[in-house]
Amino acid sequence: MKDKKIILFFLFLAVLIFLPYIVSGYWLRVLTQTFLFASIATGSNIIIGFTGYPAFGNIAFFGVGAYVTGVMTTTYNVPFLVTLPFCALSGFVLAGILGIPILRLKGHYFAIATVGIMETIKEIVDNMVETTGGGMGLTLPIMVGEPEFIYKYFYYVMMLCMLLSVLICYIISRIKIGYALRAIRVDEDAASVMGINTPLYKTLAWAVSAALVGIAGGIYAYWLSYIDPHTVFGGTYPVKMFAMILLGGATTVTGPLIGAFILEIISELVWSKFIAIHGMVLGLLIICIILFIPKGIFETFKGGFSFRKLLNNLRENSL
Amino acid sequence: MALLDIKELSTGYGDLQILRNINIEIEKGEIVALLGSNGAGKTTLMRTIVGLNRIWKGDVFMDGQRLTNASSTKIVSSGVSIVPEGRRLFAGMTVTENLEMGAYCNRKNIKEKIERIFDFMPRLRERKNHLAGDLSGGEQQMCAIGRALMNEPKILLIDEFSLGLAPTIVDSLVEIVHRINQEGVSVFIVEQDVQLVLDMSVRAYVMEIGEITLSGASKDLMNDPKVKEAYLGM
Repeated sequence: MKDKKIILFFLFLAVLIFLPYIVSGYWLRVLTQTFLFASIATGSNIIIGFTGYPAFGNIAFFGVGAYVTGVMTTTYNVPFLVTLPFCALSGFVLAGILGIPILRLKGHYFAIATVGIMETIKEIVDNMVETTGGGMGLTLPIMVGEPEFIYKYFYYVMMLCMLLSVLICYIISRIKIGYALRAIRVDEDAASVMGINTPLYKTLAWAVSAALVGIAGGIYAYWLSYIDPHTVFGGTYPVKMFAMILLGGATTVTGPLIGAFILEIISELVWSKFIAIHGMVLGLLIICIILFIPKGIFETFKGGFSFRKLLNNLRENSL
Repeated sequence: MALLDIKELSTGYGDLQILRNINIEIEKGEIVALLGSNGAGKTTLMRTIVGLNRIWKGDVFMDGQRLTNASSTKIVSSGVSIVPEGRRLFAGMTVTENLEMGAYCNRKNIKEKIERIFDFMPRLRERKNHLAGDLSGGEQQMCAIGRALMNEPKILLIDEFSLGLAPTIVDSLVEIVHRINQEGVSVFIVEQDVQLVLDMSVRAYVMEIGEITLSGASKDLMNDPKVKEAYLGM
């Protein structure tokens, strides 16, 4: 069973690696976008799913990463790839410092506090007109080369970012800290009396999560070569991220990745035809997930797909 | 010096002071009881010993090592384990996984330790792959005691030992506690059933509104008119 899963994952990887030689530019962009969301969802899942702290505003670090790359490449002419470690570092440090006070909050209060952080950073960036360009946005230098090459380049860079997130999630789920986070999620006081240093591990989990999201932000900025505060801090990102994590299953390593693929591909195929009601469909989808598969696709259909399970879940969740 | 030595301890929540100048000493191999009515501060004292509350004033020593406001990692590593009020098991984890979590600070011979606990409480072996949240109350208390023992503690704190359990189950748990104690582990126990706990323990402390008002040998306390009136209804 376990071997089968691993083989399946590598098969999936092999397909992704060879795909750019088959599909067109448009689908390459869609897939790159999917990798981006997969990175964000997987990275955020360390704090949201593993630790059980709903960091709704985790996108703040995506924006920070985007602006770190943006400012470094425009003002200081630093090569793009060199900026990525700084994206990770800025996310790590920022979340580490903010985490010390804010991770004392729990549940909804924590979620709202993270949204507050996101809005605050957005306002700061919006008003630092000289370095960030403020509301006008920031135009990054465009990469030199054939469009075909550039498409493939970002496809692979974003894929590596996604794989890095999955790898780190996998490692965390296997080592001591992973067990500590799991215990914190279930019962923080009990975890503490087991001798787990809960403030340290919570903060570390958030910092790592922010670092991964920060890298995704950096790549995004250079890829689109234009960023402005209102798109990178917020927009539909937090909602989409949450829907993906819930769809795939918050407690699993690869759940958010699968959630991202399903949601992005479906949205590209179906909803792009109904732009106006896109948000409504997303909301509806989240409601359906909560009602029918609250534990995500993975956990719910571990032993195979069945309608009975869906109905049972609905019955248990009815108001 | 006593194994667990609490000196002049004061603490509280926010601005509200709960405990005032608590002095408690527990020797190696003793069973000591803590009595008191609801709201006296018994659970607060337990929480403070394991580091869930900050100490305002005073000190806690374990085996001569100062644990005042130390990290919970350090406190647990020094040999203090707790069975918290309401048991606080990891409900979504299996019995075995709960036991493994108990060994978080002491990872030597986890397999052997689990086997020993299963020998000790065979009921847990039958239930080892069940989720802790699905167990009966008595089994959950056994699991919580087992989890605390995985740390190989020198002292075991038990908060609200018999809360919500049937008398027959309480009897078998008392038996288990005695056997743990025979292996040299000190036990500090909070319990509402005064008769039961005075039978179990060697010494006892009585707590009233955040202060220790009475202490002594359990036998003497059982005949103490004040205790009789307040707790035994005689």
